[in-house]
Amino acid sequence: MNAPVLPVPAASVNAPPSPARRPRNPGPSWGFGFLQFLDRVLPECIYRPLRAAGTFVAMLGMHPQRRHSRAYLRVVLKREPTLREIFQHFFVFEEMLILKLRIAIGRPHHGRLAPGSDDFRHITDTNETALLGTFHFGHSDLTGFLFGGQEKRRVSLIRQRVENSDDTDDLAQRYAGWVSFIWVNAGENPLFAIKEAIASGSSVALTCDRIEFSARGEPFQFLGARRLLPFTIYHLAIIFQKPVLLSVGVPGKPGETIVHSSPAWRADPTLSRDENLASARAHFQAFLHLMEDLLRINPYWWFNFLELNPEVPDAC
Amino acid sequence: MPDPLLFQLKTLVVETLRLEDITPADIPDDEPLIGGGLSLDSIDALELVVRLEKEYGIKISSSEESRTALASIGSLAAYIREHAAADRLPA
Repeated sequence: MNAPVLPVPAASVNAPPSPARRPRNPGPSWGFGFLQFLDRVLPECIYRPLRAAGTFVAMLGMHPQRRHSRAYLRVVLKREPTLREIFQHFFVFEEMLILKLRIAIGRPHHGRLAPGSDDFRHITDTNETALLGTFHFGHSDLTGFLFGGQEKRRVSLIRQRVENSDDTDDLAQRYAGWVSFIWVNAGENPLFAIKEAIASGSSVALTCDRIEFSARGEPFQFLGARRLLPFTIYHLAIIFQKPVLLSVGVPGKPGETIVHSSPAWRADPTLSRDENLASARAHFQAFLHLMEDLLRINPYWWFNFLELNPEVPDAC
Repeated sequence: MPDPLLFQLKTLVVETLRLEDITPADIPDDEPLIGGGLSLDSIDALELVVRLEKEYGIKISSSEESRTALASIGSLAAYIREHAAADRLPA
């Protein structure tokens, strides 16, 4: 199969990019601090409706994100979504943000592996360095921090640096020593930072659903079409001879994230490169099916407020 | 007489990156390796660097360093000569 090869990402090592080039999260620079202040002074029975109202107002002002949410929900629900459903999508995302801010200032939170995630447990128990594929999905943003903070494993998170990302900064501070960052938009190639991280014995967590910063993408069946998704993680696994674990986190009981993880994928040295890549494609596709099963339970869990991954015609 | 290091590096590029329909002799000494006629991308560059490190006992730890080293086969040979131990180089 000829894989579409995407442009090399502009990127970096642990130095943040210059503020002039950084994209911004929506909202004012004081927004996170304000949310944390309200969290301290208001009871939840007042604060939650207030957050919902704020989210609704924000949603009305965020035209592109609303359009993309609508397009995604249309695909996953297989019908035109209502405004209430679009709001729900935004609100689930906002609640995840609040959770991150709360965990960052010390609220206890625990990750629990879903049944069938034995390889994830094995790799954390043996402290083997792995490539962790994750997604903008439910509590997945927390899995890297939980892997570091809870399991006491060093992990480098590949992230896009945005100007006002206090949630990430606060979490990083809380889990300092276990979690570090490799910024993809700091002007250098992040692949070398990944190489150094792996050489130092750190696992590396990459998101595998947004194609923008991926060096290589391939088409997979996802949400009813063949869509271009990042595939770089498997090439890295072959180059560095490390296992790939894909995982997503979903809300469990209060204070808990349930981590669904794939079996570990490892390149087989007795197979050819093409055979290994074929097996990697099957591994990734199986996990995308699991994600789709989870989206059938809660379609709001995929935080896709950007254009859907491009469709690839069958002939490609 | 052709430089044995240049030939060895060209062979290594072809082998490591499984370049079909390209022989070591097809790779010019001065053509850019990345983004040139070989159509190599950043993953190829990384794979090549990992192999070079293993083969010559060198360390290329930044993308800037790799850009310098992988500018062409000629510059790669110069980089290897500068950084590798003498016993790793072809006689």
